[in-house]
Amino acid sequence: MTATVQKKICMVGGFSVGKTSLVKRYVESVFSETYLTTVGVKIDKKTVTMGDKAVHLILWDLAGEDDMSSLRLSYMRGSAGYVLVADGTRPATLETALALRKRVEADYGPLPFALLINKNDLSDQWAVSDDDIEGLRRDGWWVRSSSARTGEGVEDAFTDLASRVVR
Amino acid sequence: MSTSAAETLEWLFHPASPDSGPNSGPGSGIDRKALAGLLVELARSVEPKYAQPAGVSPLDPRLEELRRLLVGHEIEVLRRLREVVEDPEQLGAAVGRVLPTAVASSDERLGDVLAPALEKATASSIRNDPRALVDILHPVIVPAIRKSVGETIDNTFQSLNESLRQSLSWRGLRWRFEAWRTGKPFAEVVLNHTLVYQVEHVFLIHSHTGLLISHVAAEDAASQDPQLVSSMLTAIQDFVKDSFQGAGQQGVDTLRLGDLRLWCEAGTFAMLVAVIRGNPPEELRGKLRDVLARIHEERRHTLETFDGDSSGLPDIEAHLAQCAALRQEGKRAIRAGFPWYVFLLAALIVGIAGGAGLWRWDLAQKAAQEQARIAEEQARIRAAEAERRAAELRRWSDYVDQLRAQPGIVVTESAERDGKFVVGGLRDPLAADPMAILRQSGIDPARVTSRWQPYQALEPAFVLQRLEASLAPPPSVKLSISGDHIVAQGSATPVWLGRARRAARAMPAGGPQLDISRVEDIAEGLLGKLRDSIQAHEIRFNTNESLPAPGQDEELDQLAAGINELTGLAASLHMMARIRLTGHSDDTGPGTYNLSLSIARAGAVLALLKKRGVAADLITIGGAGQLDPLNLGNTDNARSMNRRVSVAVRLEEEP
Repeated sequence: MTATVQKKICMVGGFSVGKTSLVKRYVESVFSETYLTTVGVKIDKKTVTMGDKAVHLILWDLAGEDDMSSLRLSYMRGSAGYVLVADGTRPATLETALALRKRVEADYGPLPFALLINKNDLSDQWAVSDDDIEGLRRDGWWVRSSSARTGEGVEDAFTDLASRVVR
Repeated sequence: MSTSAAETLEWLFHPASPDSGPNSGPGSGIDRKALAGLLVELARSVEPKYAQPAGVSPLDPRLEELRRLLVGHEIEVLRRLREVVEDPEQLGAAVGRVLPTAVASSDERLGDVLAPALEKATASSIRNDPRALVDILHPVIVPAIRKSVGETIDNTFQSLNESLRQSLSWRGLRWRFEAWRTGKPFAEVVLNHTLVYQVEHVFLIHSHTGLLISHVAAEDAASQDPQLVSSMLTAIQDFVKDSFQGAGQQGVDTLRLGDLRLWCEAGTFAMLVAVIRGNPPEELRGKLRDVLARIHEERRHTLETFDGDSSGLPDIEAHLAQCAALRQEGKRAIRAGFPWYVFLLAALIVGIAGGAGLWRWDLAQKAAQEQARIAEEQARIRAAEAERRAAELRRWSDYVDQLRAQPGIVVTESAERDGKFVVGGLRDPLAADPMAILRQSGIDPARVTSRWQPYQALEPAFVLQRLEASLAPPPSVKLSISGDHIVAQGSATPVWLGRARRAARAMPAGGPQLDISRVEDIAEGLLGKLRDSIQAHEIRFNTNESLPAPGQDEELDQLAAGINELTGLAASLHMMARIRLTGHSDDTGPGTYNLSLSIARAGAVLALLKKRGVAADLITIGGAGQLDPLNLGNTDNARSMNRRVSVAVRLEEEP
């Protein structure tokens, strides 16, 4: 029998960065997206296999807000790690993601996280420079560009995060 | 008439039917031949040579002809339309023809428009002739009523059956008993037991992370992925807490959706959520709370440190399974059956009536036997009662005898009155407790009334006890009984001896006397002698010197030895010797100087005694200056006698 373990992972990011659609095809989901606008969070599950261990990542998709202060960060309580999502065509959302990380760190201490810079299929509108991304990587960040259309970066992010939250 | 109207309409809407006339061309209805002739004629008229100065006369019949040729058909159609519109009969027929199609193709607005009118019409129709409506509804309403009445009767039977079942069944009787025991109305007890519910799911959710610790579902209960559900429940709890400040830290404890209820019980580290179908009684909440508390008690550490790994928690699952098994079967299953209990009741009544005769005959037989049995039983009871009574009296007299034998107790009264035992008399407060003896006697203390007057017994043992309390003899004195005397032996201070002498004189006549002749006055014994010899020592000083004069060492040695001996002897007699060293000076020099000099001399002697092994804790020092001279003369010799340190000894009883 394979051992199973559950970990709570939050998905955070600014408004309309594509968090929800990014994971849609890769997770088990039973709740409708209206939960995001009503309760402010939607729960999905992503199972990652690590050796003989099945890791159920319970994903708390937090409703994105332009006004960062109104984000319900209280939902982060008990998280083992989180996924930051920014929109590569709107550099402001990357700023939001960096600020969110700071807020999370202030409230919950340093937690493992992965940064996905989304919408890399819109290459003609891409506005984040490779230097910026390299800079973040040099700071020890796990950063990938991703696409909801091709699924690029998504599986990687979950596999890597799972390996960091399960010890 | 209606036939002809219909034909008119037919013609009206289909004017180009084949039999409309040979002159009409296909689709036009215009006499083309006549029109051509007319146009030729007109052309000729246009020739100037034919033209007349006044042009065409308005009365020219050809104009009329032209009009007839061009629009004659339309004129005919309009005429017929007018006929139709003006004749109500024809108009009615025409509208009736198109109305169904119009209604069918109209949108709901037609209904809105028609409804008030229809309601009005129906109401007015019923007012005018209710019978018509009754006739119409009769075929529908009668079966409906019959069905409803049938169901009501059926229900009444079932409910009567249910009541009888509740009343006659073992369960019903048990409920009656429960109602009687708890003081609740019977209906409430029945309701509690017949509330139908089933616990379908039980989730144990880690409060901090919202992760599922364990989940148990009842058989045949389905739900979404429990891991997702548990996180979502946590999110909703958080949402409510965040959104409504007044909710405090309590969160949601009940969610209800139709027939389903979610009951949440929050614990320190985990939340128990039960999904219940039906109407659970409030007691169920207590059961859930108990299970949660037990889990916390047994697996507190596991819950506190839970990190998502829920393997190896079968005991928690077993606790939850206990909750998931909770259910209350309804009476629905029974309702559908034949009303057996009504039937049974009827059979029972018949049976009772039939059996009554037989029973009465049997009863007479049994009554005779029963009487004989009762008589026998009564005799047996009487014998047992007499035996019990004799035993009780025996115990009572034993108790009274025991009391009489106690020193310090004088029984003056013992009797049995109105079913109670009475005992009384005199009792020395130092004597044994009659109640303690009673408790050992086997008699019910509630049946005994005791009346004791206090008095002082003169038995030597009591006198001795009282003297011990009132005289408080020092450890060096022992009191004992010797014949009919109380004898004191040992040694004591004169103060105690004085007190003892007064007590001896006050002893009541006729009782034991106190003999203190064997107590030695410590002031007169060995101790007294030793004291006197110590007090006789004096240490001499030269003028203006605070240290003893040369040659005083032997005196100091003797003093030290004497004090040590005294202290040792006093301790063995439970006494204490307090020693005071007082310094003195001669009368030369100022008085204040002499006072401090005399204190210094006493201090010097104390130090020298200490050096010789004397314990200093009972020694005090003081100075008298020149105020207490030994010799009042003013010669050198007299002054030399006055420069000294004197010793005083006080003997005390050990505290």
